[in-house]
Amino acid sequence: MTKTGNRLLDVKGLTIEIETRNGSAVVVDGIDLHVDKGETLGVVGESGCGKSLTMLSLMRLLPNKIRVAKGEAHFDGRDLQRMSNRELRKVRGGDIGFVFQDPMTSLNPVMRIGDQLAEPLIYHRGMGRQEARKRAVELLRLVGIPGPEERIQAYPHELSGGMRQRVMIAIGLACEPKLLIADEPTTALDVTIQAQIVDLVKDLREKLGMSVVWITHDLALIAGLVDRVVVLYAGTVVEDAPVDALYANPRHPYTRGLLASIPKLSDQPTSRLNSIGGTPPEPGRRPQGCPFAPRCPLAMDICRTHVPKLEPVAAAGHHRAACFAVEKAQEAA
Amino acid sequence: MSAIQTQPAILAEEPPVSLWRDAWYRLKRNRLAIFGLLIVALLAFTALFGPYLTPYDFLSQDLAARNQAPSLAHLFGTDDLGRDVFSRVVYGTRTAFLVAVVVTTIALVIGTALGAIAGFFGNPFDRVIMWLTDVTMSVPNLLLVVVINASLKTPIAQWMEARYLATLNPFYRETVWIDFLLVFGSMALISWPPYARLVRAQVLSIRSRPYITAAQALGLSNRIILMRYVVPNALGPLIVAVSAGLGTAMVLESAFSFLGVGVNPPTPSWGNMISDGLRVWQHYPHLLAAPAAVLGLASVAFSFLGDGLNDALNPRGSK
Repeated sequence: MTKTGNRLLDVKGLTIEIETRNGSAVVVDGIDLHVDKGETLGVVGESGCGKSLTMLSLMRLLPNKIRVAKGEAHFDGRDLQRMSNRELRKVRGGDIGFVFQDPMTSLNPVMRIGDQLAEPLIYHRGMGRQEARKRAVELLRLVGIPGPEERIQAYPHELSGGMRQRVMIAIGLACEPKLLIADEPTTALDVTIQAQIVDLVKDLREKLGMSVVWITHDLALIAGLVDRVVVLYAGTVVEDAPVDALYANPRHPYTRGLLASIPKLSDQPTSRLNSIGGTPPEPGRRPQGCPFAPRCPLAMDICRTHVPKLEPVAAAGHHRAACFAVEKAQEAA
Repeated sequence: MSAIQTQPAILAEEPPVSLWRDAWYRLKRNRLAIFGLLIVALLAFTALFGPYLTPYDFLSQDLAARNQAPSLAHLFGTDDLGRDVFSRVVYGTRTAFLVAVVVTTIALVIGTALGAIAGFFGNPFDRVIMWLTDVTMSVPNLLLVVVINASLKTPIAQWMEARYLATLNPFYRETVWIDFLLVFGSMALISWPPYARLVRAQVLSIRSRPYITAAQALGLSNRIILMRYVVPNALGPLIVAVSAGLGTAMVLESAFSFLGVGVNPPTPSWGNMISDGLRVWQHYPHLLAAPAAVLGLASVAFSFLGDGLNDALNPRGSK
């Protein structure tokens, strides 16, 4: 808490509920996370752990029947949850850029990409059509699209998936936001394009000096991109560590499981892929204690009755984990 | 990287294929649709310029040449007052088009606005607007139009007469416009609900698409999202509905004129010509056949065009 002045995004106790026929079920349970200025944060977890919902909730873009029950999210010192709609619209696109998961469906199919790029510029920066168009060309060049002068005339369906994701990134960056939230921006792309997109964001982050939150379920992909990683499991933060420390010395059994699941080139071609047994708890049927306890190889009695807090791991600076078995895990490793 | 950069370069040599160009390409290969399009174009041309090109005035009577069979001098013959039926059918095309275009435009504007609001903003707007739509649809069309005509026509005519006497402005003498006003108004009143329902359904499905969330994440206002993201994407089915709606409006106008609650004589309308022809069809079948055939042709043309547009604008439906 020493670098509070440097905090760009500070989320505290964020709880998201989904309305069901049997009352409301908690999907995100009191998440704490923060992003410093100029920092790149990786948010990792398997499908349904609440990664995307958390980010959508920051911009108050949650779908119907899903709502923030508790918590606050300060961006640049202002609480996003209590902001007026008018202020919020300025933040959306203006201060926080968003890149969505599926570039195939996240662009308006009947609008030329140049116009889609120009829209936020006209809206947030008060540019005229001509000026916005020029800037659109620059942005397309910035994200590495060849022939941007002609490309601004193209419709989304005339571009390949990788190109569209570049356009999405260009739109997200249009107003030079302080924070870029990328929600699994590479999931819909093939592996070589994934690497290009990661390199692109890395490059742009340095050029523009912005913070980035990169949501993914692929720990290997972001190793070279992020400064710090937050691991989510069933709507809670289970580990929060600088990227090197996390890979070198994962403390939470879930993180270990995730890392062990990455196939290695040195593995026998015939060997089975590692996986974590069992499935995450369904919303509304969360176990009483640690949500990971039912799947955890190191689970103790206390894990089934008490929820572990996210606490600094002894003698490891900024490394925090929510596990009663941290020490035991250390020995097991 | 290089693979990515060369691929679009190849693509760029072809002209960009827009959705509309693509649709036009598919439409061109559909013979029935092109037939419909040609007929519609011909009718539109006739409506605009026809009355200036006909050999006779649609009102001029030639009592020496009454009820003549079709000949070179009178392509569709003459009616019981010796008026040239061809000229009257041509002028009737103008009436039909005027009514169809104006009524469809009003209905479209009302329907699109209400449907978009209902679909985009949800309850309570949705509930109220859909309730209004259901109520409007449940009233029998003909009955409503007859009631409007019967109850409003005389008061408006009297008011116009009073205005004329008070101001001596010749504008108030032009009673033909009362007919049109009442026809436009009453037909628009019953024609908007299908558009409202269609637009609402479209908007409901579009509202949940990722690009709408993406637009919201850009901080765009609801108005811009509605006008530039939602409505353009709902346009395809709407165009199809409009094409079919124009044909329906023409038939509806003829039906009202046939019943005597539409456009009144002497202004020619296909409907009142059919109505007149029906009384003497055993002796002079051409008086019924000419306007009825043109009406049928127009109706079929619009429906072929509508079907063709439906296929052309819906890439999933055709190969």
